[in-house]
Amino acid sequence: MTSIHSCRRVSALFATSALAMAAVVTAATAQEKITLTFANWASAEAATRPGIEKVIADFEAANPNIEIESEAISFSEIARQLVLRVRSGNPPDVSQLAGNDTFLLAATGKLEPLDEYVARLDVELTGLEDLRLDSKLIALPWNHAPAGLWYNKAIMEEAGLDPENPPKTIDELMEAMAAVKESQPDVIPLGLDTTNRAFSMSSNWPWMRTFGAQPVGEGATGAESPEMKAYLQWMRDLAQKGYIDPGRKIGEFRPLAAQDKVAFHWDQVLLQGVIQSTNGMSDEEFYEHWGVAAMPTGPGGESHSFEGGHQLVMFADSEKKEAAWKFMQYLATSPDAIANYTVSYNSSLPPLQEAPEALSEELDTPIFNAFRERIIPTVAPQPYGPDFAAASTAVMAGVQQAVTGTEPIDDIAASVQSQLDRQ
Amino acid sequence: MSNTAVMENQKPVRRASGRVPWLDWMVMPTLAVLALVVGYPVVYTLMLSVQDYNLLDIVPGGYVGAGNYSSLFSDPVFWTALYNTAVYTFGSVFVSALLGLIFALLLDNLAGPQFRAVRALLLVPWAVPFVVVAFLFRYMYMQNGGIVNEMLLWSGLIDHPVPWLNNAALAMPAVMVANIWAMAPFFFLLLSAALSGIPNEVIESARVDRARTWSMIWHIKLPFLRNPLIVSSLLMIIANFNDFAKIWAMTQGGPGFSTTTLVVYVYRLAFENFEFGYASATGVIWLLLLLVFAVAYVRALRMN
Repeated sequence: MTSIHSCRRVSALFATSALAMAAVVTAATAQEKITLTFANWASAEAATRPGIEKVIADFEAANPNIEIESEAISFSEIARQLVLRVRSGNPPDVSQLAGNDTFLLAATGKLEPLDEYVARLDVELTGLEDLRLDSKLIALPWNHAPAGLWYNKAIMEEAGLDPENPPKTIDELMEAMAAVKESQPDVIPLGLDTTNRAFSMSSNWPWMRTFGAQPVGEGATGAESPEMKAYLQWMRDLAQKGYIDPGRKIGEFRPLAAQDKVAFHWDQVLLQGVIQSTNGMSDEEFYEHWGVAAMPTGPGGESHSFEGGHQLVMFADSEKKEAAWKFMQYLATSPDAIANYTVSYNSSLPPLQEAPEALSEELDTPIFNAFRERIIPTVAPQPYGPDFAAASTAVMAGVQQAVTGTEPIDDIAASVQSQLDRQ
Repeated sequence: MSNTAVMENQKPVRRASGRVPWLDWMVMPTLAVLALVVGYPVVYTLMLSVQDYNLLDIVPGGYVGAGNYSSLFSDPVFWTALYNTAVYTFGSVFVSALLGLIFALLLDNLAGPQFRAVRALLLVPWAVPFVVVAFLFRYMYMQNGGIVNEMLLWSGLIDHPVPWLNNAALAMPAVMVANIWAMAPFFFLLLSAALSGIPNEVIESARVDRARTWSMIWHIKLPFLRNPLIVSSLLMIIANFNDFAKIWAMTQGGPGFSTTTLVVYVYRLAFENFEFGYASATGVIWLLLLLVFAVAYVRALRMN
């Protein structure tokens, strides 16, 4: 009996020791595990959520000591929330940003400069120059998503236009839209975002530039310049002739484009993915149905575009900067992340000078080639910064007044300028 | 016993002893919570309103005294927003109250299941969340495919779709229609309840005097509805003064600034431009205007 008891005691002792050891090991592992907070809208949108979740899972599998806590925040809310979080001392480690929002956050002085991190990369990145503020790199380009003039070949053909010859000048565009309007009254000739928000200003900026207008920023000629008035008058003509549908956000044109209700559409490279996910078109069908060209040239004879791509930023208060950089680097440059998210779910171009060989086939499409060869070279920098949002409110209010009202263009331009002067 | 003597006898014993009644201390937690939840933001807003405070600035804002206020008074968008707020608030409340009154009078004394169903149907818009109302009307008003334009085109009343929300002259009335649709049931509900509270004796004696319908409404029912109408109107004026969701979801204050109200303007200043100092000065003016209606509301309640 005694030996049985002592045997049980020894077994119990072993079991207890093993449990204690396991607990210690688990605790040690848990202590070593780094948790990164990643604020993004990719996981807030149904179209991109599966892609970003897979990429995060793949990263965590490859880096078992790093855990990503994804914080889903909508695109329109992310800048507001991050500015408030930065001011209250509670920023995430890494965030997805785009357009003026990147420069807004940089203005708080709470973004980690990335020059030293990027210098360590063994790949060459594109688009770095446009992300510098006071000569410091404030963000890492995640993808490139410039805008081009998409044209629906079926609608063009029905309007008696050559579907392989999209308009190259503003005059040709006006003629093409007139033909579309006459042959297919239910089709919106041009999908153009005229809402009053900073993104809309970014989207309309290239159109202003094609008329030679530059209402704000370095070298600005103001809102009362003849070029700006010519642009406002052109916008009024578009509305009066029924060529645009004012008040719709860019995203609200996309489902209509997928239903062949938009002839020409000023939108980013990601439109292909949205249309295909909406109407189930195959790649071949899409390339037969849709094409993309550079913006038609205006009086200045130049095309312009805007970069609507996404960036990754690291917050200066992050205590896990090396892990954060590892994650950012993976998202932007790893072939897996590019294949599983950037190209497939986001339908955008990776920020690499030379694409990885494994992806060369996926990136060799008529649309990507058109963007790379003809549109990206036309991307013009925008006057991003803390004053951009207020300037956008003033300028886009003027655009809306021109598009929807009857007030003389001179008065509208003067009203916009007076508001810009107040800022 | 004289009146004075009676009053002296009725004085509470505790107060006579000079001690504060324990019940008075019970309100202290409430006061503390109010001071924290209401008092602190108000005081902080007042402090911000005299600073040049932008949330994006690395250097904290400096004291500018009345600088924000003087800028505000020369800001044309502020005056446009103030005018739009008045039009939106008073226009919506007046028409909603009128519609609520008409429906309440029409359905008064009508019994039976069919009228109960009509009453229930009339109350449905009040149950719809404001953001849903806004998106519902936004899609109804759409130039391409909106049901309003489709019906008007079908009936031959218009030749071309009307840009209800994208025309500077039409946007405000269009937004107000959505607001009135959502708010009129509140007045209907309240006034129906007030009508049912009119004593039967009064109605009967009016009938005995052979009062006609119009005379009955004008001389009997409307005087009884006066106070509920004042109180509910003031309440709705305060609510509409603060109405952000409907306008933002439908027009974002546009086109131009044609539907920008004070609350929309404050939002743009604070959360798009991060001009917290200037936005606070606008907020203080907005608060003062609201206080006027709040005081009127409290007085109306006391009068009742």
